[in-house]
Amino acid sequence: MLVLRPVQLSDLPHLQRLARESLVGVTSLPDDGERLRDKILDSCTSFEHQVQNPGPESYCFVLEDQPTRNVVGCSEILATAGLGEPFYSLRNRHFNSASRELNIEHEVPALSVCQDLSSHTLLRGFHIDTALQRTACAELLSRARLLFIAAHPRRFAEAVITEIVGYSTENGDSPFWDAVGKHFFDLPYAEAERLCGLESRGFLAELMPQYPIYVPMLPQAAQDCIGRIHPEGQEAFDILTREGFETNNYIDLFDGGPTLFARTAGIRSIVHSHIAVARPGSAIDARGRYLVSNDSLENYRAIVAELDYIPGQAVTLDERMCAALKVREGSLIRLIAL
Amino acid sequence: MILRPVQVTDLPALRALVRQAGRGLNSLPANEERLNHRLRWAMRTFAEQVERADADYLFVLEDDDQQVIGVSAMTGAVGLREPWYNYRVGLTVSASKELGISRHIPTLFLNNEMTGQSELCSLFLRPDQRLEGHGRLLSVGRLLFVAEFPHLFGDKLIAELRGSADERGCSPFWDSVGRHFFKMDFSHADHMSWLGNKAFIAELMPRQPLYTCLLTEQARAVIGKPHGNSEPALKILSAEGFAHQGYIDIFDAGPVIEAPVSNIRTVRESLLLDLSIGTPDDQAPLWLIHNRRLENCRITTAPGRRVGDCLTIDRLTAKRLQLQPGDSVRCVLLRNQQRQAVAA
Repeated sequence: MLVLRPVQLSDLPHLQRLARESLVGVTSLPDDGERLRDKILDSCTSFEHQVQNPGPESYCFVLEDQPTRNVVGCSEILATAGLGEPFYSLRNRHFNSASRELNIEHEVPALSVCQDLSSHTLLRGFHIDTALQRTACAELLSRARLLFIAAHPRRFAEAVITEIVGYSTENGDSPFWDAVGKHFFDLPYAEAERLCGLESRGFLAELMPQYPIYVPMLPQAAQDCIGRIHPEGQEAFDILTREGFETNNYIDLFDGGPTLFARTAGIRSIVHSHIAVARPGSAIDARGRYLVSNDSLENYRAIVAELDYIPGQAVTLDERMCAALKVREGSLIRLIAL
Repeated sequence: MILRPVQVTDLPALRALVRQAGRGLNSLPANEERLNHRLRWAMRTFAEQVERADADYLFVLEDDDQQVIGVSAMTGAVGLREPWYNYRVGLTVSASKELGISRHIPTLFLNNEMTGQSELCSLFLRPDQRLEGHGRLLSVGRLLFVAEFPHLFGDKLIAELRGSADERGCSPFWDSVGRHFFKMDFSHADHMSWLGNKAFIAELMPRQPLYTCLLTEQARAVIGKPHGNSEPALKILSAEGFAHQGYIDIFDAGPVIEAPVSNIRTVRESLLLDLSIGTPDDQAPLWLIHNRRLENCRITTAPGRRVGDCLTIDRLTAKRLQLQPGDSVRCVLLRNQQRQAVAA
């Protein structure tokens, strides 16, 4: 059974493996032992802190196979996108020009560096073993974060965003980077991504373009990257768009990948999840598959389970489920149909 | 040859010249009505009936048979009625000491900084008449006029030289920049800019600074580079002290060359002398001479001998200038004559 839980220091080797395997562009999984260690420690601290309002907390989760203890995936929530470090995006906005005399009016899209999305909660760091892609486990890994937000609303902002990794070729080249970022950063794409994960991001502010960039002046290959996702990002994109996330004309500074946005109060798993009472039992006449979480904080657990759920009634969980969720008779659980 | 203000009787000759010039001379419209309008406006300018903001000094080059073989002009001021746009080639530095990265990116800034300055324009000489003396009179004669009437002009004179284009008239700079905002060919936009004014076309140009690293390589290569056809004009004006200070045309990136009026050689070195009529010797240097009049302006080049405050020229020259002995002239040695004069 796969169980989602907060990361622990002992997970470090697993995280390192996942970081190594993750796609360039998933910068929140830096391939660096010390950085990953810091990330784990920050996460533990966040789970322990009393929080009244979203701050710099980061909540990192892993998907663990029980009983083998293999970590097969991880995902993360950053309570505030741009608190510790500024959160830069490119806003894709039309500049209107008109000439009455010539009877010409047109909109020209231009990309401007901004920090507009800084105050939102950021979902990031989603990575799952290839074998588990497009399974219920991927849903669990992604959406359990949303159930966590539902359980602890004070810790998060009124809107949630995520960046879907943008298009790059098999060689690891990004046409968008080659047409834009490279001119200012003077680095290959992979190197820029790597630095982003390691260094403090001050260098970004120093190097990035200050003036808007007119889209029609970019080579077509770069224009095509605007809002385009890498195939490996498709699953994350699909899961979250089903949750009500939408593109909002912000793209990633490096690879042009789209940002997805949703008001917290409008996210499906948050709005439509139900609180129910757990009842340990043995026989379940399962009628559906559900994502189930225990609504805790540092003992947060979430699983996929086949249940017989009737609103208003207690939900029967078998022994394995109870152990995985660390619940017992009368505990509150949160669930939503898969 | 004389350089004189245009007259209403010059209309047919002007039309013929404009047709000959074809694409190269945008500022003289081929349309008869517009040409007529410009001609009449220029006459009012020379009659001091218009404000500097609207002043248009249109000169023609005429031979002794009264054939008009060339044309050149100056405006009183650009940008005072409608904004006058150029790009200035500036610099953006993108650097991180920590990472040891430093990128110097030439950047184009849209601006109106030439506002109020006077523009040299509309220069055309019939191809079969392209002898050195003619080009110089047509071009530099205007500068002597400025020397006489500086109050009619701005602090600077500017000239927008045509930018690089290929044989088909395509401008790589236009293709990389302007085309995306106007959705038309360069020749069409160029043509339209003289149907009215550049101002409302400038309303459609990108107003944000442009990083040149985002332009095509061909576009970058032509920034500030004049068209081959502009080389003779560039040579003459450079010798007068005009230089490129980083401003370019917004359509084809051709260079704007400029000079403060007080720095222009012809202005600085011009003298006021009294005419005497005689026979200058064979070694007499060439002078550029202005009869100091406005509406009846006559400018010519001729051999002359200076003695003290007197300039001796021949009778024919005096006739061309419509002057009598003892009349005052403003004159300047033609540049390459100076060395000869000194040697003699």
